[in-house]
Amino acid sequence: MHEYRFHQVLLILIVLFVATIPPGEVQAGEELNCLICHKHRGLSRIDENGKFRLFYINNELFESGPHRRNNCQDCHTDIVRIPHDPAKKVDCTQQCHVVEPSGKARFSHKPIAETLAMSVHGKLDAEGKPKKYQEDYPGCKDCHDQPLYRPLSVFKGEPRSGISERSISRCKSCHRTGNFAEDFYEHVTSRLRKGRFPLETIEVCAKCHQNPGFLERHELDDAVTTYEETFHGKLIKLGSERTPDCLDCHVVEGENTHLIEAKTVPTSATNKANVGNTCRASDCHKKASAQLASFQTHVTYEREKYPMQFYMLMFFKALMAVILYFFLTMIFFELMRRLFPAFAFFKESKADDTDTRPALKDREQ
Amino acid sequence: MSKYDPIVYKDGKRYFYRFSAHQRIQHVVLFSSVLLLALTGFPLRHADEAWAKPLYAALGGPEVAPTIHRVAGSVLLVLFVYHTIYWIVKFIKNDLGKLKKENRLTLGTGIKAFFTQEMVPNKKDWYDIIHLWKYLLYFTNRPPRHERMSWREKFDYFAPYWGVPILGPAGAVLWWRDEVSHILPGWVLNAAYIMHTDEALLAILFLFFVHWYNVHYAPEKFPAAKVWLTGYLSEDEMIHEHYAHYVQVMIEAGLEEEIQQQHFGGEHYEW
Repeated sequence: MHEYRFHQVLLILIVLFVATIPPGEVQAGEELNCLICHKHRGLSRIDENGKFRLFYINNELFESGPHRRNNCQDCHTDIVRIPHDPAKKVDCTQQCHVVEPSGKARFSHKPIAETLAMSVHGKLDAEGKPKKYQEDYPGCKDCHDQPLYRPLSVFKGEPRSGISERSISRCKSCHRTGNFAEDFYEHVTSRLRKGRFPLETIEVCAKCHQNPGFLERHELDDAVTTYEETFHGKLIKLGSERTPDCLDCHVVEGENTHLIEAKTVPTSATNKANVGNTCRASDCHKKASAQLASFQTHVTYEREKYPMQFYMLMFFKALMAVILYFFLTMIFFELMRRLFPAFAFFKESKADDTDTRPALKDREQ
Repeated sequence: MSKYDPIVYKDGKRYFYRFSAHQRIQHVVLFSSVLLLALTGFPLRHADEAWAKPLYAALGGPEVAPTIHRVAGSVLLVLFVYHTIYWIVKFIKNDLGKLKKENRLTLGTGIKAFFTQEMVPNKKDWYDIIHLWKYLLYFTNRPPRHERMSWREKFDYFAPYWGVPILGPAGAVLWWRDEVSHILPGWVLNAAYIMHTDEALLAILFLFFVHWYNVHYAPEKFPAAKVWLTGYLSEDEMIHEHYAHYVQVMIEAGLEEEIQQQHFGGEHYEW
């Protein structure tokens, strides 16, 4: 009996293991055949800090991601043979093996990193000294949260963008070799549309800017919740894509998205001198005057910071309380009066009420 | 005025005139626009709630619903102005005209005529509120005897005169925000936002709880009062809610002998 159950469990385990081996050919990392190990969904370990690390590479996600034309080693440069030692963290600013076609130089994300360093999100202050709470400042992956970097989430039904088959078929009638048409199409069209849905952008910013610990450390107001209180935030929640998200106001029009500057910086999109132009940018408040700039977006309703909003809110709350409590109490007592309709402490008799003109009687009161 | 008989008979029952067709149509326009405004406004106000997105989508979503909201708001504002003019014209024609005919029109009688109009609050309303609380707390078994307009109806009537002047201009500022920014600073939009959303909540809560209690939820009215459609009140309703007015109308119609007694607590509940 006991042994029988053991065999049963073993069989189930084997079936489960076989079932979880992904089908399809090995494509990524051809040069070292990395997927021979990394295709297994269970490939993981607990690292020195006790953190669970998953080393599974979802090839389907890799093939649909922006880095699909890179080899593993282009980013993981410290790996030269397999089996390999624990790999270092990837440095996105290093030169990779892709040649940038316009200048024929090797490609690198370094200029983006330099822009980010100049922005409010850079790790160093204006004098080059490290800012407090270094670990709170974002690196590439904190915002560019690709599904590939969290390969399990794809099994939870996360949406992914895809290629329009009808469009690509027109490219493929000439560009037949390899995956050139798909890659070029993705590369160009991803820059023609908004990179993310507004809700996704807000979610990315909210990871820090709605995090209570983070807000307290940096003495910041909750930028996301206050934004969600505005018509901008509410319309986006209701599915609008023509309403501004964080980036539309915090990046100067036409500027690199990575250059978000503090409002104290003179060139910042949210600097007092520039807000007017930011509101009037593109197809937003084109006809507005620069006076629109004194609109306050991130209102916390604190008395010291936003006295007008605080007192107006108090006024309306008080008015609502007085009116509704008065009438709802009355309705309550009116319903209670119906429990014992004929009862009264002091009864007026109908015999005393023979006057057919009580209206006139009441008026003389 | 005399287009409507104060008392009409149908199937042997008396019905008492209350609202002209003109007034009833104004009421229909009023509640249609307010309901549309609420339906297209509250999903936005409560965008976080689960019902907000499907309801907003059903009303056309972010592309169409704001237009519905603005059209309904414009209709409400036009109705508001129209009704105020209607009221003034009616006052001049009926009340002042009557005084002039009788050669009694002076500043004093004119002002008095203004303050004795049926919807203007007066001292008797205050006595009626006190009397109602005496009745509700079981200190008497006789409900208050209301005139043609009870204080509750007067409150309902004047509520838009508080709500529309706040909601309308604030809504217009939010609608024409770009143009307004040439005249007023941007923080006015912050003020308009609070005025518009919070006054809207007050208005809707008042309508849905208090006004709808008066005309829908109250046991003797449920599921709905009919006076907004027919313009006439039954004799029972008249005795129950407007006894002072009932007696006056009956006397004026020469039916003094047939005046019924007021319903006291416990009498005549058809529910």
